[in-house]
Amino acid sequence: MEFVAKLAEGFMSLFSAGGETFMGWVTGIIPTLVCLMTAVNSIIKLVGVEKVENFAKKITKFAVLRYTLLPLMAVFFLGNPMCYTFGRFCEEKYKPAYYDAAVSFVHPITGLFPHANAGELFVWLGIAQGLQQAGLSTGGLAVRYFIVGLIVILIRGLLTERIYASMIKNK
Amino acid sequence: MYNTIKITAGDGGWGGPLTVTPTEKCHTVLSVTGGGIHPVAQAIADMSGGVAVDGWKTTLPDDEIMVAVVDCGGTARCGVYPKKGIFTVNLMPVGQSGPLAQFITPEIYVSAVKEKDIEVLGEAAEVAAPAAAAAVADKGPKTKEEAKAEIAAANEGKKQGFVVRLGKGVGAVVSKFFQAGRDTIDMVIKNILPFMAFTSTILGIISASGLGNVIANTIAPLAGSLPGMLVICFICSLPFLSPILGPGAVIAQIVGTLLGAQFAVGAIPAQYALPALFAIDGQVGGDFVPVGLSLGEAEPETIEYGVPAVLFSRMVTGPVAVLIAFAFSIGMY
Repeated sequence: MEFVAKLAEGFMSLFSAGGETFMGWVTGIIPTLVCLMTAVNSIIKLVGVEKVENFAKKITKFAVLRYTLLPLMAVFFLGNPMCYTFGRFCEEKYKPAYYDAAVSFVHPITGLFPHANAGELFVWLGIAQGLQQAGLSTGGLAVRYFIVGLIVILIRGLLTERIYASMIKNK
Repeated sequence: MYNTIKITAGDGGWGGPLTVTPTEKCHTVLSVTGGGIHPVAQAIADMSGGVAVDGWKTTLPDDEIMVAVVDCGGTARCGVYPKKGIFTVNLMPVGQSGPLAQFITPEIYVSAVKEKDIEVLGEAAEVAAPAAAAAVADKGPKTKEEAKAEIAAANEGKKQGFVVRLGKGVGAVVSKFFQAGRDTIDMVIKNILPFMAFTSTILGIISASGLGNVIANTIAPLAGSLPGMLVICFICSLPFLSPILGPGAVIAQIVGTLLGAQFAVGAIPAQYALPALFAIDGQVGGDFVPVGLSLGEAEPETIEYGVPAVLFSRMVTGPVAVLIAFAFSIGMY
């Protein structure tokens, strides 16, 4: 009898540990997240996607902007996965490179702007939460994640553009 | 003469596209948009050959209303007309919401519509015979032309007062804020909470069962050094693995959370956080290349050669990203 009781207790403890983690996330993450996302979503609705699109069309011909500002705007205003539709403003030969740049930014942006990809927050939050538990602040890390993200998508865009060009030539 | 028209959802809109064909009996566009006939209602009427009427002034039997145009922020009107089985065009970007949400379906409802979202598909199949039309005109309440002229006169005399315009402006802004809140809560309930539930359950089991220590002893040394991270990233970005590891970023998220637990206890030094963020994400979007490219309206050939181009590029740029992140984390923590 005692053995069964111990077993049941052990079984329940597996889930009470999970429950504590869950509670910590719900109370620690969601309230701020909800307000931040509502504010940013409102701004996006007030600006309107059309204005962003008109601006996006103008910058696709500059290589550096095509793989930095364009994906940044697309991810910020449209989020994942609609941000890839901005590929239609690029010339055909740049589309794979643009996709590579845009998709590589859907996680680095979440440190500062979680609304853009709220369904995949835990790439960032998983690590950030751990650091917070260790008593460290994550603001600086979020900014650096964002900046390094921009540098990385520029490199990815430029390199994928070259690789795609040579593949098309040798087809 | 009547035309079949197609109404599609505008930016941020939901539902549709609706294909609407006017008939002799049912060709009225009811504009229920805070007084006057809204330009969108007028455009629908013009293109389809129907008439637009001001819903604040007149009412019609339901079976004579072809389309109802509303500017509802998501509580009442947007559901009322779908419930009656009337095609409903909402000018606001509102999806299924309000107490009547279950009646709002894409077959009958479309939102965020602007004039440019309406197009003529072709002449309506059943054009009433001229004789019949004349007979109807005799005894009918009004002919189309008369009604149109009347509407024009009614709209002309009525410049919208300052208070009405202010009220509408405030209403539009408030409804956008409200919709933003609704979108956010939707996201939290549909995506964020389920992921938290599933991950916290796994984490709970791992930490309570002692598996956590095993992981700490195996992963931590690998993730706690630069060469180890480069290896992780390179493996994640192998072209035959990255499409499998990609979907929903589930694996990256779980690994991120597991690593987070190691950072929390100090098993991995905090300065490795930034490179780790890139190391676990070398495969990002590897599963989604064809879909993402077709969202960007790429040609089939672009997709064929674009997929391997992106995947091969990752084997180089994945580890490069880790190195850059490593350089940038100098001086932090």
